[in-house]
Amino acid sequence: MFRLFQIGWMALTLTLSVSVAAVPAWSATQMDDLENALMCNCKDKCGKVLINCTCDHSKKMRKDLKGHLDSGLTVKQVVKVYVDEFGETILSAPTKSGFNLSAWVTPFVALVIGGVGVRQIMRKWIKRPGAASSGNAPAPSAESAENKQDAPASDFSSRVKRELDRLED
Amino acid sequence: MNELGEFALMMALATALYGIAGYVMAIRQNRVDLYFSADRTPLIVWGCVMVSSVALWKAFITDDFSLQYVWAYSNRDLDIFYKISSFWGGQKGSLLFWTLLLTTYMMVVHVQNRKRDLRVVPIAMVVMLVITLFFLFLLNFSTKPFEVIPVPPEDGRGLNPLLQNYWMVIHPPTLYLGYVGFTVPFAFAVAALLTRNLDDGWIRMTRKWTLISWFFLCMGNLFGAQWAYVELGWGGYWAWDPVENAAFMPLMVATAYLHSVMIQEKKDMMKVWNMALILLTYVMTIFGTFITRSGLIQSVHTFDEATLGYFFLAFLGVIVLFCVGLILKRLPLLKSKNELDSFLSRESSFLFNNLVLLGIAFATFWGTIFPIISEAVRGVKITVGPPFYNQVNVPIGLVLLALIGIGPIIAWRRATWSNLKKNFAKPVLAGVVGGAVLFPMVPLTDKAEILSYVAFVLCIFVMATILIEFWKGAAARQSLHQESVPASYSNLVWKNKRRYGGYIVHIGVVFIFAGIAGSQAYSVDIEKHLKIGEKITLGGYDLTLEKVIWIKANETKERLIAQLAVEKDGVRIWTGKPEKEFYKGQNQPVSEVDLRSTLKEDLYLILADYRGEQFDPVTNTMATISDGEATIKAHVMPMVAWIWMGGWTIALGTVVAAWPDRAEARRRLERLKRMEGVFAPAQQE
Repeated sequence: MFRLFQIGWMALTLTLSVSVAAVPAWSATQMDDLENALMCNCKDKCGKVLINCTCDHSKKMRKDLKGHLDSGLTVKQVVKVYVDEFGETILSAPTKSGFNLSAWVTPFVALVIGGVGVRQIMRKWIKRPGAASSGNAPAPSAESAENKQDAPASDFSSRVKRELDRLED
Repeated sequence: MNELGEFALMMALATALYGIAGYVMAIRQNRVDLYFSADRTPLIVWGCVMVSSVALWKAFITDDFSLQYVWAYSNRDLDIFYKISSFWGGQKGSLLFWTLLLTTYMMVVHVQNRKRDLRVVPIAMVVMLVITLFFLFLLNFSTKPFEVIPVPPEDGRGLNPLLQNYWMVIHPPTLYLGYVGFTVPFAFAVAALLTRNLDDGWIRMTRKWTLISWFFLCMGNLFGAQWAYVELGWGGYWAWDPVENAAFMPLMVATAYLHSVMIQEKKDMMKVWNMALILLTYVMTIFGTFITRSGLIQSVHTFDEATLGYFFLAFLGVIVLFCVGLILKRLPLLKSKNELDSFLSRESSFLFNNLVLLGIAFATFWGTIFPIISEAVRGVKITVGPPFYNQVNVPIGLVLLALIGIGPIIAWRRATWSNLKKNFAKPVLAGVVGGAVLFPMVPLTDKAEILSYVAFVLCIFVMATILIEFWKGAAARQSLHQESVPASYSNLVWKNKRRYGGYIVHIGVVFIFAGIAGSQAYSVDIEKHLKIGEKITLGGYDLTLEKVIWIKANETKERLIAQLAVEKDGVRIWTGKPEKEFYKGQNQPVSEVDLRSTLKEDLYLILADYRGEQFDPVTNTMATISDGEATIKAHVMPMVAWIWMGGWTIALGTVVAAWPDRAEARRRLERLKRMEGVFAPAQQE
């Protein structure tokens, strides 16, 4: 009886393990993540991210990746296997550590510096509001007559400005 | 004919040299006779390059495989259409084609301006001739298109199958027209700097050229994206490849210039900035050419014989040093009366628009050159691919999209809180309502979906700002001029071509953003091996494999076609026929996707694999696929058609904005009458 139970238990275990093995232990998202993270390293150096590549070598790579996932490795572990074998050039983007971090940070730093620069320039360029509305403009000199923009304080200029603003509305 | 082509190139070189020397001496010594002599050289150089190009075209059409270049990029069975486009399929021909376009631009500019500003135009001609000289030097001494094979082979090697696509016939010339076109504003900017004529005359003279070049560059990028979409067979249209980046960067810088130059025209400000931007745009086009032809960065687009790197690097270095030096030297003259009335003004929004556009250009540049920096600093080769650009450029792009909406509704000079509230209320309301309607309709489970949702809301906001601008303008015309509704809209656009042409371009940009957002975040795909009669379901479509057939198209090409019945809700709506093409002598088959495109979504089918004997390129045979099995990869990608629709909308807007304007022509004429010319012809006009 015990023998029969043993055989039955073994058969059940075997059936379950076979059915579990038939269903991959990883998801399509994991495969997508891997294909997005790695470049195709074909002989032709097509320079494509694996997910975008259709060459024969990319098919072999995908099969290899599935094999790694089947063996129970995580996405990070599979990526590490590839980096160890082919170097960082196999990655589709720089890592976010060490020197490579500068690749990610620099564009935003440049943008912030540029933004501060633009703000500073604008502060320098902006006319003082008092001068624009005080109405205490100096008497028009020869120089200011040459450049009409130098005398915005006059009633006429204010009126033109108001009219222009209204037009823009 | 080949000897004539080669001789014509040598003549072009000699004439260009003479032209440069002649112009320079005529200006320095004020010699009218020499000037008129030199003034004929742009036409002669163009004629010589045209003769040379016709000779090469003739060699392609007549299968003259005694020319190494024709042998390398053509064969007897190649379609005549592709024989013509093989001209620019390789390094040598593409350089000749570049030179042909450059000299054509030069000739047209010369004819158009020969009686105009004689202080700036001759110097601009010298600059264009110097650039032409560089390309002619390469064609005569480094990459000779008329190199002969001593014993001509019977047939050629053939054109790369990936290039045998109608988009590849259109894409390179369009892109080149953009790249090369920026030589015109560059030449005039340098001429203005050299001659100290730093008012906005050079800007007005080259405004249309800049717009046309920008348009071609923009369309060249979009045509390239369409080629990648239908030919490369991976279900995408943009891969942030270094060569794609090379075409994208000058587009961003030129867009910044087109906006900031309006401030100079309107307020006589930012002279240094605009000068720097147009010079940078040209530098970026040469940088792009350097990337494509240096072999420094690996890309699917680079030329096989990437040997020209050093020449282009030297040329790039000379241009950069010359431009920087010239701007620094003329800095006192470029100082303009920079005055802003308020932080809240359209001028400020243009400054921020410039910042963001240059930010995108810089991020792209940085990503493109970072592998070189990494190798130089750490000795480690790395790759900078799409994940980097998507993470860096998408957020910056969204800021740009918001600015497209904000810019046009902020008043020039000074915006008050009251007019801000008044102008922003309706577009913001449209964005909020649109966002609320979309919220339950779109999934928001990951970062890409959230960013796409933000993009959609911004698209609605921007579209509302533009449409309200149109509506307000037309309503004003209806009440003031008692015009009908259609007449008010057409007159509104026609009487303000620049402004409303610009708005139409912005509508096109909104379509492109919407298309990118939809297709990037909500695409679904499936790959499955099918037997005849088996079915896959994706995005509401049922795809059934009906048959797998192979056809011998011609002596050099075999086609393997999978036919799929496409049903939706049990009704057959389409028959998909993705295929693989096998070319004699090529190791890899080429995928020919089939797609059903609607405004809602594209159903994109790829024959990924098949069962049966492989095509043997050596014996040029392949067995029939008797058991009829195929691996089909299917993508359902929402809104891709919006990207192409955006492209055509941009084309329409550019045509409107660049359309000749009588009032503007009259203003220019008056300005020209006031100008002093060096020689008599200038005063005759």
